[in-house]
Amino acid sequence: MMPLERWLIELLLNIVSREELNAFLRSPQNSAALVGGLIAVSGALLGAFLLLRGMSLTSDAISHTVLLGIVVAFLLMTEFFRVPGDTSSPWLILGASLAGVATVLLTELLYRSGLVRQDAALGLAFPLLFAIAVILVSRYVEDAHLDEDAVLVGEIGLAWANTNSHCFANCESVTITPDHDAAKFARQCRNCRELGISPRDERAIFSETCSNCGLYSPAQAWTAGLLEREPELVFFPKSITVMLLLTLLTLAFVLLFFKELKLSTFDVGLAQALGFRPGALHYALMILVSLVAVGAFDAVGSILVIAFFIIPPATAYLLTDRLSLMLLLSPLIGAAGAIFGYDLARGQLFGFIAVADGIAALNRLSGLALPEEWDSSISSSMVLMMFILFLLVWLLSPRYGLASTVIRRAKRRRVFENQVVLAHIHNHQHTATHEIELNAADLHEHFRWSKQKMSRVLTRLRALGYVRILAGNAVLTERGDRQVHAFRQTMLEAHNMPDLPA
Amino acid sequence: MVARLTLSAADKRGWAIIGGIILLGALFIPLSQLIFDMRFTYTVRVVALGGAVLGLLSGVLGSFAVLRQESLLGDALSHAALPGVAIAFLLAGRELSWLLIGAGIASWAGLRFLSAILNTTRLKQDAAMGIVLVAWFAAGIALLTYIQSIPDASQAGLDHFIFGQAAAIIESDVTLVSAVGVVVLAVVALFWKEFKLVTFDPDFAGANGYRIGLINALLSALIVVTVVLGLQLAGVILMVGMLIAPGIAARQWTQSLDQMVIQAAVFGAFAGAVGAVISALDSDIPTGPMIIVVSFLLVLLSITLAPGRGLLWSRLRQRANRRRFAAINTLRDLYRYALAHGSEDTPAPDDFIRGVRAGSVESGLRQLRGSGHIMQAGAGWQLTESGIALARQDQRNQRLWDLYRLHGDELGLPALPEDRQLNIAAALPAAALELLESKLEPSDRL
Repeated sequence: MMPLERWLIELLLNIVSREELNAFLRSPQNSAALVGGLIAVSGALLGAFLLLRGMSLTSDAISHTVLLGIVVAFLLMTEFFRVPGDTSSPWLILGASLAGVATVLLTELLYRSGLVRQDAALGLAFPLLFAIAVILVSRYVEDAHLDEDAVLVGEIGLAWANTNSHCFANCESVTITPDHDAAKFARQCRNCRELGISPRDERAIFSETCSNCGLYSPAQAWTAGLLEREPELVFFPKSITVMLLLTLLTLAFVLLFFKELKLSTFDVGLAQALGFRPGALHYALMILVSLVAVGAFDAVGSILVIAFFIIPPATAYLLTDRLSLMLLLSPLIGAAGAIFGYDLARGQLFGFIAVADGIAALNRLSGLALPEEWDSSISSSMVLMMFILFLLVWLLSPRYGLASTVIRRAKRRRVFENQVVLAHIHNHQHTATHEIELNAADLHEHFRWSKQKMSRVLTRLRALGYVRILAGNAVLTERGDRQVHAFRQTMLEAHNMPDLPA
Repeated sequence: MVARLTLSAADKRGWAIIGGIILLGALFIPLSQLIFDMRFTYTVRVVALGGAVLGLLSGVLGSFAVLRQESLLGDALSHAALPGVAIAFLLAGRELSWLLIGAGIASWAGLRFLSAILNTTRLKQDAAMGIVLVAWFAAGIALLTYIQSIPDASQAGLDHFIFGQAAAIIESDVTLVSAVGVVVLAVVALFWKEFKLVTFDPDFAGANGYRIGLINALLSALIVVTVVLGLQLAGVILMVGMLIAPGIAARQWTQSLDQMVIQAAVFGAFAGAVGAVISALDSDIPTGPMIIVVSFLLVLLSITLAPGRGLLWSRLRQRANRRRFAAINTLRDLYRYALAHGSEDTPAPDDFIRGVRAGSVESGLRQLRGSGHIMQAGAGWQLTESGIALARQDQRNQRLWDLYRLHGDELGLPALPEDRQLNIAAALPAAALELLESKLEPSDRL
């Protein structure tokens, strides 16, 4: 991972100066937005396919189970191999993703036994694995980066602080040996623990140990004040590297297998028949979902991550019918949610509405005394922002939005009312009973409509110039007559019927 | 009324199992005192009682959720309750009944939003449920973070609603939960017939003039109430497990709804009480996860051991069947070889018989020799007298079955389920058997 990171930084240094890069990455906002945006892009790309396959909740399932994988891998690292636990280590990510995939297999096994239905198998297996993980976390793991809070919301606000340092010039690493000038020594009791005595006991034997010996990387050496010349350092957040790799992997997968994914998503049978192995593709998708869920764990925890898989694709799905457009829109929506979400956590909605004003208004209205300063969890604000974007699209989408649906339905109702009345007049206007049937005053009774509704429809038809009132009776104008014929013709064509005899 | 009291054998067995399980659950208390040296102090008693009441309620309502295939809806509903807890706290302070009312309203709002999305867009249920689940949950977490920034000590313990904390349950909570629980159970008893109908056949219910929409809404409301009550104990994330696990476990033991619901109530009460007590004794173990683990153990036990459906029994049944088939197939192979190569007692070479039916032949030969139907003859196997009799009997039975299939209708024979393991001669009445035997080839007649 380190050489790759270095290569990336060198690439970036061609564009910006070292100071600018460090300043950019040291800002919590930039790092959080970048990490959140990357999670959103990779999650949305995969989530689009999950959504179209009707498997959105599988991401929920996987995100719950990888927690167990993470915790077990973490415990193995710290207790068994005695290395410092690091939730962004590539080995941990790989191991935990395998756990995710294995559990998908396990649920399939559970409901194939025929004793438990699929929804029940999901609803049973995943809470169980999550429960075991939570018990392990609260009972055995003593680490600030893996506690119940981190499981819930992650630490995206601290993404900037967990960095790898890269040195580009004046790189001096320092090794402090006991005979080094800067070496410090501490007296330590050698046999106190085994004898169970206090260091003041006369039997205690002491030895001098060096308390700060060891290898210092350039960054550590500079911070410890061992160097005279400042090394040229770049501090690069680990989560950005991890998520960038996963995003590139996801992007490559989707681009390379676009045709296969498309085919097996919309027509599994055909994909199978043409030899595209939809089963293998299904598991590849599951592996990637697990990888992204594990990679995102540090930043957003194991529950909120499902929002990054579900909400952006669902939003894009309300905007377009084209898969390629959906794959373009979902990551954009997700990234926008992540970026605006950071502002929301700091009390700014879309940059111009202050949450504090809202709370102040609420306080005035209800007489409560809530503190007006809004400073909330970053990851959940990102999710909320995506949800707000979803709501906006749901309301306003030109084709599938609530507003356009309401308008469309109202328009359809108007057209229907017009046609019914026109047809009624057309059927009766040259018959013997037309005085009874077409009397404008009680026309509504023939339709069992209210009087108001009838007069509304009649006014509309007269304004359109389809109907006239002649001596209290409704009569079609020439235009109205043409309209009826045209409508009947389209209906006949739509139902593929032979033309009426002239 | 008298007629209703006569129970079928399956019913009797079901009730006996339920009685046994209740007895075991009741014995658990004195046993745990003896074996684990548990002390039931006042606190532990309160917690155990609370856990049992909540578990019982979840078991009853969860059974319906499981049967209606709405397990994951329970998950969404419980996550959706969190912002309600936070808003109720902001508006009304830390009073449990207000918090629960807030949770109920938020959860219900989630449910309404879910159906609004489903009715007005083309999103499918899983995506819509995911959106409600995570958006409501994120709102709850955001509000809780905001509340934590308020300098006021009374907010402590609100995050217990996330993972559940049994130790925080006090006597007045148990009273509240029991009172609401009695109402919920009374409503279930009152609408038993309607709930049963909409669960198993909503179309039929609708055609008979029941107002399905209303009944469904009532049932959903009861499930919401149950979920909300259970939040204190199991927490929003894992409440779904407490809701559905007892139902899934109970489903394995019985085929009837009333037995299933009662058994789920017993399982739920057991899991709730045991999980709550374990976590109350060790404050490092959160309650929700512990209850889930206990419930899952019950499910595991039920899936393996439940009579009839259990995996253990079906494995044993499969094994016995495989053994029987191995024996009868080997016998037939030997008999057919003997007839084709001379007389009935012609031995068949060992490698021939092994070549014909590779997998099962070892078991077949061992069984047949054990029962004295075959004996070793040089490098081959020869049928003994009893073996020949058995093979003849089997062949005749198979012929009769063939004839029954061919001529059963034309001879007007009574209908039999075609199970060729059965002896058809014993299954048919004597007169019918005589008719069938008249169709046999002369060589097969006795």
